[in-house]
Amino acid sequence: MKILIIEDEPGLQRSIAQYLMAEGNLCSVALNYAQALERLDMYEYDCVLLDLTLPDGEGLQILNYLKRVNRAEGVIIISARNSIDQKIEGLSLGADDYLIKPFHLSELNARILAVVRRKSAQGDRHIEFNEIRIDLDAKEVLVNGKVVYMTKKEFDLLLYFVSNKGKVISKSAAVEHIWGDDSDMADSFDFIYTHIKNIRKKLIDGGSKDYFQSVYGVGYKFISS
Amino acid sequence: MKLFTRYNRILMIISLFGLLLIGFLFYQMLAYYLDQQIDHDLVEEIMEVKEYSEKGNFYQPHEFEDLIVQYKKIAKAYPSSSYADTVFYNPVKHRTESARYLKTELELNEQPYQILVIASKFERQEQIRNICLIILIPVMLLFALVLMVNRILLKKIWTPFEQLLKNITAFNINHDQPYEPVDMPVEEFRQLNSVLVELSGKVKSDYNEIKLFTENASHEMMTPLAVINSKLDNMLQSNVLGKEDGETLVELYKATSRLTKLNQSLLLLVKIDNNLLQDNEQISLKLLIEEKAVYFQELISERHITLDMVLAEITTSASRQLLEILINNLFSNVIRHNYDGGKIEISLDAEKIVFANTGHNPALDPDKIFDRFYKDHASEGTGLGLAILKQICNRQQYLLDYFYRQDLHTFTIVFNH
Repeated sequence: MKILIIEDEPGLQRSIAQYLMAEGNLCSVALNYAQALERLDMYEYDCVLLDLTLPDGEGLQILNYLKRVNRAEGVIIISARNSIDQKIEGLSLGADDYLIKPFHLSELNARILAVVRRKSAQGDRHIEFNEIRIDLDAKEVLVNGKVVYMTKKEFDLLLYFVSNKGKVISKSAAVEHIWGDDSDMADSFDFIYTHIKNIRKKLIDGGSKDYFQSVYGVGYKFISS
Repeated sequence: MKLFTRYNRILMIISLFGLLLIGFLFYQMLAYYLDQQIDHDLVEEIMEVKEYSEKGNFYQPHEFEDLIVQYKKIAKAYPSSSYADTVFYNPVKHRTESARYLKTELELNEQPYQILVIASKFERQEQIRNICLIILIPVMLLFALVLMVNRILLKKIWTPFEQLLKNITAFNINHDQPYEPVDMPVEEFRQLNSVLVELSGKVKSDYNEIKLFTENASHEMMTPLAVINSKLDNMLQSNVLGKEDGETLVELYKATSRLTKLNQSLLLLVKIDNNLLQDNEQISLKLLIEEKAVYFQELISERHITLDMVLAEITTSASRQLLEILINNLFSNVIRHNYDGGKIEISLDAEKIVFANTGHNPALDPDKIFDRFYKDHASEGTGLGLAILKQICNRQQYLLDYFYRQDLHTFTIVFNH
């Protein structure tokens, strides 16, 4: 996938690029409004990550531009502005998602995949991983063609891990993915363990191999091999 | 007591006493003057008596003169005279009247006599009474008039002041409209008004500055936090991490997560203060609480907490975002401060929502728990959860209350108080 990262904070921009490139994506970066327009003029991307506050312009203008020239890129706004109005404005101008800083890179990755999948979806949308098939429309998980029943949270969590396969997902990222703003109330993130255990058991019972791997108490990894 | 009631009361008491005193003195003076006059007349009568006696007669006054002269033979006459008040029977009018007499001893026709001249004071007293009334009635009228004018005048003068009071009461630091200045005819009030205008402006601008500062500072912290978080995420991916590195990472994640939460909570408070959250809509509270209970079910069952809910079908008009935060915070609070195997009781009826939970702590200080950054040392929260709760209740005009009863920390939100 080709991804354009429009972000003026070099530290963050490098981290994002590093994470996404390790996934096998192609990343371009733009540090400001002018650079962003230049890049967008020359190339086409699968997904654009857009910071709203740029040193020489307003990120929303880039959205306007993309809409005006009818571009097909999926756009995810990444911003520290977290008011509802900002979100509504961004989304109604044509952004596909809105992620509030700070975020976990695994979360960003999952959202990028979701946006791109939605944009390029023809017919049924699903993800295949060896013997596991995740049906995004029916919200169903099939192992060897047989439905494995999962709760909504388990489904979301599995999708999250599959989207970031091969990556270590920290417990805090997993908890925040599921509980969002309210994740702070858990004094320890250990209860995510119960969820992973349940998903694991259901998949294995359904005939799948065990793909989950625990990493030094920091988190889990959905290994691809 | 209102200022002008108080002022009127004092004025009336002083005026009344003054009037009584002046009246008394006035009466005494008049009475003294009257006595002097009568005494003078009595002396004249004695002269007449003498004049008559030189002609060998005893002087007798005419019947219409309200005057009586009595003669009494005595052994020897010592020249002396004494005046005094007395009461006598007036034979002309056939009644007892107060009077003045002059007693003196004289030689009449070479015989010593004690002579008593009594003059009635009746007519003169009538005069005094009339004079007093003539003076008193206009004074009383004047007094009443002054009181009335005073009342009207004060009321008129204080009207702008009352308006000023009303405007100060209406002044809210959180609201957009500034303090409304009042047009003041009185110099002192005008001063007060201008001081208030200045003060309210200053308070407002200071407050806004602090709010803006909080907002900007919080915002500015988000970017470095995002950098830290993303670096941590990348670090996590390196395959060379040992167990100790892992533990360090967990601690770092926790720390950034807390900072993030703190920032978000501060921003949320500023937003609630600024009324930046969306408009009211009809929300089913029962549905909302049930949704949240499902949302939090893992956290509750993980710690073997029993959840008891008694919910009535209640719909209210409120900002959805605010109400969600409210219910979220209540849930977070009862779960976070509970112990494993504890219980949570939630009830909802037309009047109120009640969230009660068991907890390690004894009763908390109800005056402090809603303060920003108040928390017990065991808590890992930001110390803003309850402050946000309070702020939302203020905004929605709900009454938020905390008490500790039967080992349960109980938070009550009353809708229409």
